[in-house]
Parts: sequence; structure tokens; C-alpha cells
Amino acid sequence: MHISDGILEPEWIFLWYAISIFFIGLGLRIINKRIKNEPVYLPRLSLIGAVVLVISVLHIPVPVTGSSSHPVGTPMASIIIGPFATVVISAIALFFQAFVAHGGLTTIGANTFSMGIAGTFGGYFIYRLLKNISPLWFSAGMAGLAGSILTYLVTALQLALSLNPGHVMYYWKLYSLGFIPTQLPLAFAEFAFTAYVIKYISGTKGMENISSGRPIDRFTITALLLMVSIILIITIAAYAGYLGGSNMDGIDSKVEAMAAPGASPAGIGNKLMAHIGEPLGFALIGITGGLFTGYFWIELRRKS
Amino acid sequence: MLEWLTTDPLNGIIITITFFISIIIGKYLRMKRTANKGKLIEPRIKILFVFLLIISITLMGHWYLPILICVICILISLRSNTFADYSRKLIFPVILSFFIILIQGLTYGINKINYWVITLYYEGLDFGFLIFARVIAAASLMILLLSDTSENEIIETMRWYRVPGTMIDISSLMSRYAKSFLKEARKIKLAQESRCGFSKRSGFREKMYDVASITGALIMRAQMRAEIVYKAMLSRGWKHDQGSLAGPLKRKDLLMGFVFSMGIIILLGIDRVL
Repeated sequence: MHISDGILEPEWIFLWYAISIFFIGLGLRIINKRIKNEPVYLPRLSLIGAVVLVISVLHIPVPVTGSSSHPVGTPMASIIIGPFATVVISAIALFFQAFVAHGGLTTIGANTFSMGIAGTFGGYFIYRLLKNISPLWFSAGMAGLAGSILTYLVTALQLALSLNPGHVMYYWKLYSLGFIPTQLPLAFAEFAFTAYVIKYISGTKGMENISSGRPIDRFTITALLLMVSIILIITIAAYAGYLGGSNMDGIDSKVEAMAAPGASPAGIGNKLMAHIGEPLGFALIGITGGLFTGYFWIELRRKS
Repeated sequence: MLEWLTTDPLNGIIITITFFISIIIGKYLRMKRTANKGKLIEPRIKILFVFLLIISITLMGHWYLPILICVICILISLRSNTFADYSRKLIFPVILSFFIILIQGLTYGINKINYWVITLYYEGLDFGFLIFARVIAAASLMILLLSDTSENEIIETMRWYRVPGTMIDISSLMSRYAKSFLKEARKIKLAQESRCGFSKRSGFREKMYDVASITGALIMRAQMRAEIVYKAMLSRGWKHDQGSLAGPLKRKDLLMGFVFSMGIIILLGIDRVL
């Protein structure tokens, strides 16, 4: 993930620095307030910072992107010490790592944004979302998984924006695909690692802010497992297709020709898709179909 | 025959003056270095210089100067017997930047270069090599800086440059904890291995559980100790967010900073002219 010095153009260096400094400022305000009331918060914070520093320094070079893959550790830190404090400790960890040629001084802003802001807040959001409907280990693990993947997607975007401003979407896809072989296994490792660590330390002294959550039911486990499996199959197949020289345009026209050869191009479905865009259109279809199936699931099972 | 001596004296005078003044400065610098046991440049000036030089490297549009900086860094590391450490740390940035050359050369540009069965793009190769040069030059500077400057000096310099005190305190505690964290992790891992943990037969789930339980145990154990030590520090008069202990910069350090800044501006000027 860490982008080295010399890769980003100056305008992007300043932009990522400006955004990160804003978040670091907010984080410092929160930390200072907390230290006034609870002085031992400082060593606790530093200790979690040391954990993030050690975890995120174990890196693997990534072909294609010119960056590296490693566990991020920031979703775990955000669950223990909060997301804003995590931004501060990740910036410090990145500063130290720059001195061992892992990352860089001018790219601390960009790296803080991807690992310390996107990864942290993304992971923390997932944790908060799942905390009340699933067991603690699962919500923490999903935070690790989401935070890790989000960090790499943002890094890929940062590289595409700076290196290839004329073809951002193409290179974003290319760099994101480049991360998959190393990052996907690492993201699953981060799921297991974060889940076990949070489960281990929850309920102990000083970790009362980590709640125990609720047990997960069989229906949710099956649905989530199916979702992850299908996404994995699609991702691996798409990556294999990409390596095989596919143009990655999809098979929309073939499906349309075979499924509905007499359909009018001016039909409401086509118009709607053209108006709102395919990703949003498919998302709406997914949401509607999912809600309907989930809502009537028990009745459907009984009838069958 | 003596035309070279009798016609234009300007070049001769310039070379004589610069040569002899340089001899005097060189001798003075060597004496100073011996007296200061290698600390020729003040850490505050050195860190600022490296930071500015790295920024200027990212602004450079040609690969010649970054490569020149890299060569100078190699020579300095050879001179200071740190080449083995320097080259080991440089491997990772070199691999990364090599991938950049490859991907840019294969995908970016208009003018094609057909090489055997591979088609490369001229613009991509050119841009990729520029990035490669920038990355290794910047990484070389950082590696050399750390080989000659201790973590405490860096943290103290940050304090002097008015970096928020809370960040400095967290930094100094973090750097200490990270070292002891690794040390303790090795101890616990060894203890777990001696009790049949980390078996080669165990699968991914068991291995992750082993690693996570070590981390969890370490966090809990370290947290308890850290809080006790911190309370002891507070009771002995340690203050959070204290000011810098470093005094003001000396005149010669300021002069050196000015010379370095001029050097960076000249380098950027040369890059623009090329």
C-alpha cells in the first residue's frame, strides 16, 4: 500500500497532505481532551500505535502497481482506540516507516489518507454497522477485511490519479487488479487476525468500550458465506479473463440478443439504465430483489 | 608558445582562486569533522535539507539529476562503510520502481517500440524511468539520513520544528514500544512453540489463532506495564507536551542551511534548463 517518494506529482502530494492534516488535527483535539481526563490514555494509544507500526511494516512487493501489500491494522486500532486517534497513530507509523524506505516523507499525506482515513473509517463503519446484529468476532473481522480492501482501492485510485490523469478509470481498474493476488489473501488473513485479537482482548480491563455484540443466526451466516463465495468466483474469473487478454466489456449485448431479441431499444428498462447508469441500476435491482426475498423467505420456505 | 598565459587571464585567475579556496575549505571541513566525530551537519538542518531535496526530486522532470543524487548517496555509503545496510534497504524501492517502468512501458503512450514479441511505448518507458530515478534517489536520501541520525535526534528535531507535542510524545513512546513489542513477541512465540504451538501441521485457522493470541496477550501485558511505567514517569516529574530542549541554531548552521537551500534551487534550475 505505501506509496514511495517520487511517485506522486506535487499537486497530489499537497492535496493528500491537506486532507490528512485536517483529520490529524481533529484526532489530536480528541486525544488531548481525553489525556486531560485520563493521562494513561497516552501510553495505551502509543501501544496500539506500535502494534499498527509493526503489523503494517510486513510488506510484499506488488507487480503492476509499484506499491506493496501488507496488513493494515488500522481497523483493529479504530475498534480499540477510536477512528480519529487511529488517524494520528497511523500518520506517526508512516513517518517511522519512511525512514526504512517503506513509503516516503512526501507521501505521508497520501498514505495516511488511504491507510489511516479510508481504511480506518471504512472498517470502523462496518464494525459499528454489524456490531449489534452479529457476534463481536464477526463484526471485528469484517471491519479488518473491509478496511484492508478499502485501503488498497484508495491507493490504486491515488496512483491512477497522479500517474495517469488522462485514463484514471482504466488505470484504477488495472492497479486494483494488480493488488488482488497479494491483497485478497492478506485481507482474509486480516479478517481472521482482527477477529481473534478483538475477541481475545474484549472484556479485559481498559477495553470496556468493545461490546460483546449478538450471536449470528444460520440464515445470515449462509447469506454472507454465499455472498463472499460468489464475489470470490467473479473476481477470480474476471482476473483470469483479464490475464487471458479479454477486453473486459462484459457480455451485455450477447445476453440481450439471446434473452430478448425483439426488445425495443427505446424501452423503459434501457431508458432507465441510460439515465441512472448501470452500477446504480444494478444496485437498485439487487436491493429490491434482496429485500423482497428476505422479507418473504419464511413463507417461501413453508410453501416449498 | 606562451599565448595561453599572455592572452586571456580570466579563466586562469578563476581556476586558481577557486582551487586554493576550496583546498582551504576542504581542510577546514575535515578538521571540523574530526573534532565533531562525524556530526558535520546539525540534525535540524540535515532533516530540513533532506525533506526539501526530496520535494525538489519530485519536481524534477529529467532522470539525470535524481540518478546523480543516487550515485552520490552510493559513494557516501561506501565511504562510511554502510553500503551493505544501504543496499539491503534499497532493494524494496528498486523492485517497486522497476514494476512502474514495466507497467508504464507496456501500457502508456503512443509511439510503439517493437522488441521481439513485446510491444513497448516510448513515452511510458521515459516516464517510468523518471519515476524509477525519483524513487531510488528519494529512498537513498532517507536511508542515508537514518544511518547517520538517531531516532531521538529526529524526534527532538520535530519538536523544534513545532510539531504538536502530543504527536511527539506518542512518537517517542511508539518507537520504544515497537522495539520491546517485537522482542516480547519473539519470546512468547518461542514459549508457544515449546508448548507445541505453531505446528507445521496446523492449518490457516490455527496459525491465525496462534498469531492473534500472541498479539492479544502482548497488547494486554504491554498495556498493564506501560500504564505502570507511565504513572512512574509522571510521579518523577515528566511532563506531557514539554518544549524543545535544543537551543537556537548557530550562525554556521544557518549558513550551511542557506548554502544547501541555494544548492537545491540551483539543481532545480539545472533541471528546468536541461
